[in-house]
Amino acid sequence: MQRRHEDIKFADVNNDIVRSLVETGPRYYVTLAIAVLITLACFFFPWFYQLYYGIGAAGMNHPTVWGTYLASFIFWIGLSHSGTLLSCVLHITNSEWRKAMYRSAEAMTLFSLMVAAMMVMVHVGRPWFIHWALPYPNQMELWPNFRSPLMFDVMAITTYLTGSSIFIYMGSIPDFAAVRDRTTGWRHHMYVLLSLGWRGTDTEWHRLGWAYTFLAVLIIPLAVSVHSIVSWDFAMSIVPSLHQTIFAPYFVVGAIYSGTAGIVTVMFVLRKYMNFEHYITKVHFDNLGKLLLALSLIWTYINVVEVFTGWYSNDSAELESLRYKLFGFYAPLYWEMILFCAVAPLLLISKRFRTSFVPMLILSIAINIGMYTERFLIVGTSLSRQYLPDSWGVYVPSLVEISILVGSIAMFCTLFLIFVKIFPSVSIYEVKETLPAPDEGKTQWQATH
Amino acid sequence: MASNALGLFGGPTAALAAAGKLKGAGFESLDLISPIPLHGVEEVLGKKTSVIKRFTFFGAIIGGLSGFVLAAGTAALYLHPTGGRPIITFPPFLIITYEMTILFGILATVLGFLISARLPVLRERIYVPESAVDKFAVTVACEADEDFKRATEILREAGAEEVSEIAPGGGRR
Repeated sequence: MQRRHEDIKFADVNNDIVRSLVETGPRYYVTLAIAVLITLACFFFPWFYQLYYGIGAAGMNHPTVWGTYLASFIFWIGLSHSGTLLSCVLHITNSEWRKAMYRSAEAMTLFSLMVAAMMVMVHVGRPWFIHWALPYPNQMELWPNFRSPLMFDVMAITTYLTGSSIFIYMGSIPDFAAVRDRTTGWRHHMYVLLSLGWRGTDTEWHRLGWAYTFLAVLIIPLAVSVHSIVSWDFAMSIVPSLHQTIFAPYFVVGAIYSGTAGIVTVMFVLRKYMNFEHYITKVHFDNLGKLLLALSLIWTYINVVEVFTGWYSNDSAELESLRYKLFGFYAPLYWEMILFCAVAPLLLISKRFRTSFVPMLILSIAINIGMYTERFLIVGTSLSRQYLPDSWGVYVPSLVEISILVGSIAMFCTLFLIFVKIFPSVSIYEVKETLPAPDEGKTQWQATH
Repeated sequence: MASNALGLFGGPTAALAAAGKLKGAGFESLDLISPIPLHGVEEVLGKKTSVIKRFTFFGAIIGGLSGFVLAAGTAALYLHPTGGRPIITFPPFLIITYEMTILFGILATVLGFLISARLPVLRERIYVPESAVDKFAVTVACEADEDFKRATEILREAGAEEVSEIAPGGGRR
């Protein structure tokens, strides 16, 4: 039965969210099993194949020595961007509509970061030497080179992963406490540990409020720095069409753009399959739609600037790589990206479109397909057309690489499916804040604003 | 004998009003236990300050310093001259400094939160399970029996749905 948001009582929130954790139907197990199987078959099996036969199993070769693994890495890091960043910005600006959706958006951040880290492991070829990137005294007397953007990446992603995990955990402590009282068996023991003995006293709320705000303030510049640094992996090379100053803002905007589209997809799925219809409403889709529209316009503008500066440079190598991007071998992909990320999102001007769930889902997936293409083109087209024609070549991903891409999506789904059964995927206490208090006609937010 | 009085309220306004009256009657050791953070607690129970900001600040400073020392130190330990440029270069090392500032700032904030909120809890404390759902509880520590009587009266007058005594172990009587 559909309830109105105003009719929900405090106890209903606890009931609905505890139910989402403890009541698990066969559909969930089937989905989880499929996701795990695809992860094993499409991600881990091809990866072991590649480890056994060597990196040649992937299609990367001179001159395109960076392929879909790195495109996927940028894509997943990008997808991670909106969750925690958006949640922090909306927390600081005191947005009411953040409260029902931020938990799952942050989870998206966390899991896409994990998948992104896995993509690096796959890309480096010999992942058992990954610890060489860590600064620790060793008998080889080798130290990592902190002048390299790749080392900036290691530091930034480690910090972002730590920060996002802490942020999502800290916001969930009161909810773990609420769930703790309602569960039995192993779940109860797990929530006893996770809730740290939270009671909800005025002092605890006060400390949590401050700590949470400080974290939000620290994480916003961090998130911006992470994708700027990822862009410098490319922009600090001297490859034509990569060596551009606009790359940092381009990557940050692209990341927030694809991340926001990812949130729309996740919200649709949660709303539909976890029965959160009365918590995740048209208001959320409307606001996310407006955000997507603004981001798509900024993204389009940066793309235009990128093409313009390439043309205006009048540098032969730059002009050639621009020509190749717009009309060369990969041109259909480029125009597909423009269609999905610059033209289609113009539909968001219509409020009717923004508040229709299925069209929003389709558009959000289209945007992310377009954004994946963008990342592929950054790697693929630039390295295929470097200065001299003898270093030109076409790169096509091998079956192993395509399979690992599919497997990485399944890995993300697996992690998310496990998350929705452990973390309350809608914040109990923050949703209550948006409801009328039991002895009053209006919410605390309405009473104080 | 020292004991704790507990009043359960159906809403935040009544609970806050009760806490205000208890405070006015001279009770100092008051706790409001609620399912949501309450607005207006500070007006009733007095301004709260926490040490978290100091943790964040000094954590960030220590992080920044150690970030720069890490980058500069490793460059000095493993000399890798490139094109006659300096071994200790500021632009790239400031990025490491920046990241480490934030990392240590975050970790110190968490530490500050745990210390100032006195979590994790290692011994029994007063807990009201209803307050994780939809009830707002006011607990008062009372030194003597008369204080306890006075506190329960104030709680009843303020409209408490339930007034009870909490035993030292945490159970309600």
